[in-house]
Amino acid sequence: MSSFAIVLELMRYRPWRFVASAALWSLMHGSPVVFGYLIGRIFDELSGGATVESNPWVLVVVFAAIALGRNVVLWFGEIIWIDHWLEQSLQLRRNMLRWLLEAPGSRVIEMSTGGSISTFRDDVDDVMEYLESYVDGGGFIIFGLGALGVMASIDAGLTLVLLVPLLLTLVLTQALVPEIRRRRREMRFATETVTGFVGEMFGSVQAVKLAGARSSMLTHFRALNEHRRKKALRDTFLTEALRSINVNMASIAVAITLIAVSGRVGSPEFTIGDLTVFLTYLPRLAGNMAWIGNIFAQHRRAGIAFERIQTVTVDAPPQAILDRSAVQFSQKPPDVTPPDIADHFETLELLGVVYTHPDGAVGLRDIDLVVSRGEFVVITGKIGSGKSLVLRGMLGLVPTVGEIRWNGRPVEDPASFFIPPRTAYTPQVPRLFSDTLANNISFGRPVTGRELMRAARLAVLEDDVDRLEHGYETMVGARGVKLSGGQMQRSAAARMFATQAELLVFDDLSSALDVETEARLWEGIFAGRSEVTSLVVSHRRPALRRADRIYLMEGGRVAASGTLDELLESSSLMRELWTAGDERESR
Amino acid sequence: MPAPDYRSTLEYLRPFRGRVLLLAAVLIAGIGFQLGAPLILRRFIDAALGVVAVESLATLGVLYLALAIGNQLLSAVASYLGADVGWRATNELRADMAEHLIGLDMSYHTSTTPGELIERVDGDVTAVSQFIARFMVKLLGSGLLLVGVLVVSWMTDVRMGLGITAYVMVVLVLLLRMRSMAVSAAEEERETSAQLYGFIEERLAGIEDIRANGGGAASMASFVPVSTDFFSRTRAAWRKRAQFWVASNTAFWSGDIIALALGVALVTADAVTVGTAFLLLQYTQLVRVPIEQVSQEFQELQKAAGGILRIDGIRRLASSMRTGSAKLPEGALSVRFGDVGFSYDDTPILSGLDLEIEAGTTVGVVGRTGGGKTTITRLISRLYQPVSGFVELGGVRLDRVSETELRRHVGVVTQDVQLFAASVRDNLTYFDTSRSDSEILEILHGAGLGDWIDALGLDSVVGADGAGLSAGESQLLAFARVFLQSPGLVLLDEPSSRLDPATESLLATATERLFSGRTVIIVAHRLDTLRVVDEIMVISDGAVLERGARDVLLGDPESAFSAMVAAGEALT
Repeated sequence: MSSFAIVLELMRYRPWRFVASAALWSLMHGSPVVFGYLIGRIFDELSGGATVESNPWVLVVVFAAIALGRNVVLWFGEIIWIDHWLEQSLQLRRNMLRWLLEAPGSRVIEMSTGGSISTFRDDVDDVMEYLESYVDGGGFIIFGLGALGVMASIDAGLTLVLLVPLLLTLVLTQALVPEIRRRRREMRFATETVTGFVGEMFGSVQAVKLAGARSSMLTHFRALNEHRRKKALRDTFLTEALRSINVNMASIAVAITLIAVSGRVGSPEFTIGDLTVFLTYLPRLAGNMAWIGNIFAQHRRAGIAFERIQTVTVDAPPQAILDRSAVQFSQKPPDVTPPDIADHFETLELLGVVYTHPDGAVGLRDIDLVVSRGEFVVITGKIGSGKSLVLRGMLGLVPTVGEIRWNGRPVEDPASFFIPPRTAYTPQVPRLFSDTLANNISFGRPVTGRELMRAARLAVLEDDVDRLEHGYETMVGARGVKLSGGQMQRSAAARMFATQAELLVFDDLSSALDVETEARLWEGIFAGRSEVTSLVVSHRRPALRRADRIYLMEGGRVAASGTLDELLESSSLMRELWTAGDERESR
Repeated sequence: MPAPDYRSTLEYLRPFRGRVLLLAAVLIAGIGFQLGAPLILRRFIDAALGVVAVESLATLGVLYLALAIGNQLLSAVASYLGADVGWRATNELRADMAEHLIGLDMSYHTSTTPGELIERVDGDVTAVSQFIARFMVKLLGSGLLLVGVLVVSWMTDVRMGLGITAYVMVVLVLLLRMRSMAVSAAEEERETSAQLYGFIEERLAGIEDIRANGGGAASMASFVPVSTDFFSRTRAAWRKRAQFWVASNTAFWSGDIIALALGVALVTADAVTVGTAFLLLQYTQLVRVPIEQVSQEFQELQKAAGGILRIDGIRRLASSMRTGSAKLPEGALSVRFGDVGFSYDDTPILSGLDLEIEAGTTVGVVGRTGGGKTTITRLISRLYQPVSGFVELGGVRLDRVSETELRRHVGVVTQDVQLFAASVRDNLTYFDTSRSDSEILEILHGAGLGDWIDALGLDSVVGADGAGLSAGESQLLAFARVFLQSPGLVLLDEPSSRLDPATESLLATATERLFSGRTVIIVAHRLDTLRVVDEIMVISDGAVLERGARDVLLGDPESAFSAMVAAGEALT
């Protein structure tokens, strides 16, 4: 989508407020054209060069009235635009987030979380700044044309000559601004590296002390600081250079004027008032040109920013991001009704499911897999064999090719189909959110206290909850940092149990648990087998032993499947995995 | 409140004296140019009106150009030099602060978060850097320019001097008052935007949890209070800033009005020339920027003063560790505790503990949490020192040994492996560039970790918090670090998380090689780990409850150890 199309669409969000803003700011930026004219008239009066006699005091009063009235315009322009900017940018961010979390289809964010956040923050701001330039633009054009018009009416030839340095300002600004931004980004990045390292150094201060690594760490720290100094100076240099260019172009224009009129200044041909008109307009005109140069850069930037927004939101159509009719950021979204599951779960089938990584590498090839009601099915294999990918592909978290059937019927969009109360999922590294433990478990669903406790019991979380200061109402901190790794994993398991889904899908649930806790967890899961079906990634013996069927993964495909005994008989890979587990447990 | 110690901070400028002097010269020359340009315009106008006689008006035009361009170049050079000096000096200060802070006792570090220390080492020091760089260039430069304008004005005409002086004073006071409002608005804005993006960041990181558990609608619902709060608080902050702009804009334009009115009054009374009236207008506009800068830098100065105070406070903190210059013997080290007492936050943990471990033995330490296991290892690694009694390694008392010497001889593997967002090599050597790749590889191959490190690659980059490495690989890395250090005593706090089978067997091989020829103390959480130890030490209530060969204790049904094993709870 072109920058023009984007900005047109953006203007149509609350269009009247946009027009009001543009009108106020046109008045604000355009009105200085009057000041130059008035100053010229005043100095003509003072130097006796006036062609039309008028009282200089009247002119001063007019000047004062406009100058002070302008501040009223400024105030209203500010408060209207502040509201507009904040509302519209929040709306864009809300649309982005909603698309990622709720729209149908698979969504893998390729960018790092940090990179995605900067798109949510900075790229949306870039798009908004471009819109803002249309609010300001009218006023700058009014001033530019007005000032040049007044100057040309005094001396058209000279005005034409002065256009050269002024246009140079425009050209140089638009050429240098992207480079300045690039350098500033590098400088910010260097700063983040420094602060990141300080954080790591003191976050690991015990390890650093124990390793006696103080001096090598400091040497590295000094190197990072030196790198930042260089980047900062590169940034300072170009910023100052651009500022110099703009100021100097204005000075050059003033000097040209002085030299050009030196023969006739003071005569009726070119009065002292005319001179002051030129002297007053020229610096502002140069600033004006720099601003227009910046708009060209902004135009390009907005296009790139919007592309990045689309990359982060994976496959969002522009309309979804720019959607004006969507629920406003401040309104509570309508409650969603959970999918109707008149048909209870009977079978899940994966037929020839294939996943290819974005870089072209094979993730999964021709996966066939069946899970029937009441079964406990385990997927196992070495690290990197594609175990987790099977679960994520089936759930629609990554886009796959092939057929997935639920009770014999093909599933069109796994991502929006495989949700509670059909299925629930605990990933290998579960994420919690900065909220109460209860809300992390209930996940927005109405859950009674009894259901909460049942979920916690099944997840072997009860004792932990008792020990927490505020029990279920404890705030778990950003990303759940106030809980231990094991507690986080079991909280996520409780979240899964609380959905009361018919098919539980979980990935390596025991990786952060001690033996005893793990045993109790499995017990709880097996006790509920009559009503619940499980599809599990695990290499743990208790799971393998009780599996109705094991799928053994190797290199992205199912190498073998069957019961544990069958596989131990037929597969050397299975024997290897089993023995490795054996060594550990009996040691 | 103590006065901030500006002197010791300015000490950091001493190595850059030359640059500082150059900077001052550039600033003063620039101010002369800035004052001069409007004077040329005045002369030009007056000459055109025939009030003063000059040879050629065109020459004045050329002079104006030279002055204006010269001024701009000087101002660019001054900004650049100021930034350079500021960064150089404060980078020194940063490094000194970091070094000092690392040297402080663990009790200091457990009571401060890394976030706070980032604020001290980077935030406060940056404020000081502003103090140096911008104070010099902006506050000093702007102040001098203001003074210059006032002096020239007074010399030109007393009424003009009076007018401009009054104007500068009033606006300066007004801006200084209002600026603090704008600053608090900026802080408010930073805080609320951190909340908004924190919310989004958590949702992006947990996108799979949310989507697969049907949590999208709930997330969007909880976005509502976060975004409305962001909206109302940011709006309030921005409105405050808008107020500031409107007020300062009003003040500046009032200056133009006054200048015009004064000019008209003085010229009509024949008190000054038309050129002087124009000069008055130009000077009124010239002081805008310095007035703004002085009021802004004044704020920065207060921030810098706060930063300098906090830095002083940290400089005054000192480590309480007693050290000396004695050497530890090479090879496996024996351990001896003599009547050791230790308390933490006035809670006694150990009292009168005597303990001896022979060089070269492998001892497993077990016991309930809070019994003193960890304290014992921390006293050996000298993260803490005894309140009474002494700890000896290899027959040498630890308070007679320097920290560097101790670290060379004692290797520690902690439960949680601390990793840096850096290459595997830097993670292994803690950024020590003096160790060559071939040396590292040779040692790790010797340790049986060759295949692992070859597959991983020394150059591959580990993300923050060890992203990209599995729990098992982090453990292997921690072991590899100790191999590179090659200490005579190894303290191993067993990781509580379970590893995948392949890694576990690699780790077992590495463990065996690491233990040979060294004294090893393992704090164990799992029974299987103790398979490799010679002796078991059961610690309870700060004392050795039981001690003996592993097989003997296990075989004795009366022993506390066998009871713990039987209960299956022993090792947590």
